[in-house]
Amino acid sequence: MRIHLTRQPIALSLWLLTVLFSQVARAQTAPLAAAPAGPAVSFEKRCYSCHNIGSGNKKGPDLNGVTDRRTRDWLHEYIETPAAFYRKGDPTAVELFKKFAPEVMPDQALTTEEIDAILNMIQALTRKGEVYVPPGAKLARVMGLTDVYAGWRLFTGRDKLQNGGAACISCHTLASAGRLGGGTLGPDLTTANIKYRNPELISILQNPNFPTMSSVFAAHPLSDEEIVKLFALFDHHRRQNPTAQAGATTYDFKFPLLGAITLIGAVVGMNWIWKNRHRGVREEIVRRSRI
Amino acid sequence: MDVRLQMAMVFHLDKCIGCHTCSVACKNVWTDRKGAEYMWWNNVETKPGTGYPTAWEDQQKYHGGWEQKNSQPDLRMGRRELRVLNIFHNPHLPKLDDYYEPWTYKYEDLFDSPEGADQPTARPISMITGNYVDIEAGPNWDDDLGGSPVYAANDPNLDSLTEEERAQVFEIDRLVFFYLPRICNHCINPACVAACPSGAIYKRGEDGIVLINQEKCRGWRMCVTACPYKKSYYNWSTGKSEKCILCFPRLETGQAPACFHSCVGRIRYLGGLLYDADRLLDTLHVPDDKLVESQREMILDPRDPQVREGALRNGIDARALEACERSPVYRYVKQWKMALPLHPEFRTLPMLFYVPPLLPVMAKSEDGLYDTANAELFSPIEKARLPMKYMASLFAGGNQELVRYALKKQYAVRMFKRLDTVGDVDAAAIKRGLEQLNMTGAEAEQIFRLTALPLFDERFVIPSSHREQALAMLNEDMWAEKGGAGFGFRAAPVRGA
Ligand code: SF4
Ligand code: SF4
Repeated sequence: MRIHLTRQPIALSLWLLTVLFSQVARAQTAPLAAAPAGPAVSFEKRCYSCHNIGSGNKKGPDLNGVTDRRTRDWLHEYIETPAAFYRKGDPTAVELFKKFAPEVMPDQALTTEEIDAILNMIQALTRKGEVYVPPGAKLARVMGLTDVYAGWRLFTGRDKLQNGGAACISCHTLASAGRLGGGTLGPDLTTANIKYRNPELISILQNPNFPTMSSVFAAHPLSDEEIVKLFALFDHHRRQNPTAQAGATTYDFKFPLLGAITLIGAVVGMNWIWKNRHRGVREEIVRRSRI
Repeated sequence: MDVRLQMAMVFHLDKCIGCHTCSVACKNVWTDRKGAEYMWWNNVETKPGTGYPTAWEDQQKYHGGWEQKNSQPDLRMGRRELRVLNIFHNPHLPKLDDYYEPWTYKYEDLFDSPEGADQPTARPISMITGNYVDIEAGPNWDDDLGGSPVYAANDPNLDSLTEEERAQVFEIDRLVFFYLPRICNHCINPACVAACPSGAIYKRGEDGIVLINQEKCRGWRMCVTACPYKKSYYNWSTGKSEKCILCFPRLETGQAPACFHSCVGRIRYLGGLLYDADRLLDTLHVPDDKLVESQREMILDPRDPQVREGALRNGIDARALEACERSPVYRYVKQWKMALPLHPEFRTLPMLFYVPPLLPVMAKSEDGLYDTANAELFSPIEKARLPMKYMASLFAGGNQELVRYALKKQYAVRMFKRLDTVGDVDAAAIKRGLEQLNMTGAEAEQIFRLTALPLFDERFVIPSSHREQALAMLNEDMWAEKGGAGFGFRAAPVRGA
């Protein structure tokens, strides 16, 4: 399962270079043309962690076509004070809250103009049938030859993350994570690059807005360099396995099995080491005298 | 010579009536608390019997006390490295069942039950879980030979007897028992102190009382295993171990400990003993049956000028020395050689001594007649219902001579006084008997006085306590004590603190 980068270095490097280049280029150029910089940036900062435009629901609903579904006034009031709106008993708000429970949208400190600009952008994208891609989700540099291996070392904790974050393997597994696999708290990341589009994935690496990860990584963000390397690793896995389905898992039972064996071994061993331990005198005396 | 002062005790078993007043007094004062329900710092057991906790004397099971290994005393629970390995799982602890599950009764049911056809009853409930329990054992379950085929028959001291002797002990017309009240022995060589990994147990410099510092104890329970008398107990509520404190707050104010004070049979004596701490290793460097004598040798004569000088040099107060001269314990143990330590072979050098009981009515039945006639003055001692071997296994590390001597002396005093008051015995035989024991009439009179008619202040000769001197010995800040009064925990014991 391990990546044998060093075995066919030349072939691999050539192949890597050509493929990666085209992809990175796409990730960098495509979204920028689609949206004006102002609202696109504030959307990325304030909304993107929970909302997509045109690529499905996240923690909150996909906002594609929201300007057609609701009136501007409703949207303004809702965005400013969602919880209050819900408490007022607005039927649409109640329905949304129910659907996305337990998530509660926080009140947004955006000016009316900013909200309008964002709504305009959503409208424009919807009209054009385009999908929102965050403008900041770019790799800091072009992926290089050794990045996949470097990413693998970061993922598995062989190299420390620069800002002290926990290695990915403590919560995630990966097809190449090694014989025992990785943690099972988070999802298998072998298909991360299939589930998310490139810019999305980069954006997640920059700012992981999942409830568990955000609290861990808020104070220990990944550096730009590390993002490049980890991205290269995920990208490599996609190419290794072009037909994989998003969400497919390589989870296996080696680790829990090993745990069970160790546990049984420990119990048996302790029982053996302390086989002469005191097991009570009185009960034994009484039992013996009954016979 | 390194002279130390020890508060030592004598229990005169010939006088104990097995009333358990001592146990109740102690329970009410010290262990009527959550986590301490099952503890009996003072307990009274019937011998032959297995006692509390069950078969505590069987060190094959409990691994308590010391043994001589390569001429050095070593804890029976294992070498230091082994003890460290066992620190998270001490394998030789008594189970709660070996003590007993403490219980009370659900008395409120007597009052709160709805009216019905039957009388309400108060069912027993566990004091630990609060659930209904079936009572299967208690701290004195085998009292007065209760359940003797189970309990008395398993008395570890019977191992010293032959099969035949064993059977005789339980013959119905010679069945006999006596009581053995037990508290912590405040040993000179305490195994509990040696085993404690936290250094929480210490022997007080000024009077030798062994105490567990509740602030330092971390609940490893090594002392519970190490003490061969099972007189250190683990409190499951505070997570600390506890033991008899010889009522030191009472001693410091000149009062006898609660169990001593309340003793109905007036069997208990308390007084100071001086001993030579330098002799410790030599004292232990003898076989089991020589231990009683070597321990006696360690005890010093408070009238000896050299001893006095050594004592004063060690900071022992002159008034305490004066109290030691009047100590009833010194007389019973050293002068009269009548009091013996319980299981000296555990090698903790216990400072509680027992005058063995003369109890069994010495007679034999022949053709349905009870024959109490004796050819010789001391022949009843030999014909005692409990074999001398049994007594020697309890009180002398197997040395029957020492027990025999102590019993003969008691018997001689009894006969001496009988001659005095009733006059129906042969005076010449008694004179011969006293000579045989190297004993004068005056001494017999003294023994009689202290045994039968002692005054309160003769039973308890408590040297006035000098905490200030004890603190000065430790170089503690005396000014910090200024205005301080009372005793007790500065803070309640808490788990993990
Ligand atoms: S009797 Fe047990 S608890 Fe008391 S001092 Fe001796 S060894 Fe320690
Ligand atoms: S109070 Fe005295 S007489 Fe009664 S059991 Fe205790 S030691 Fe024996």
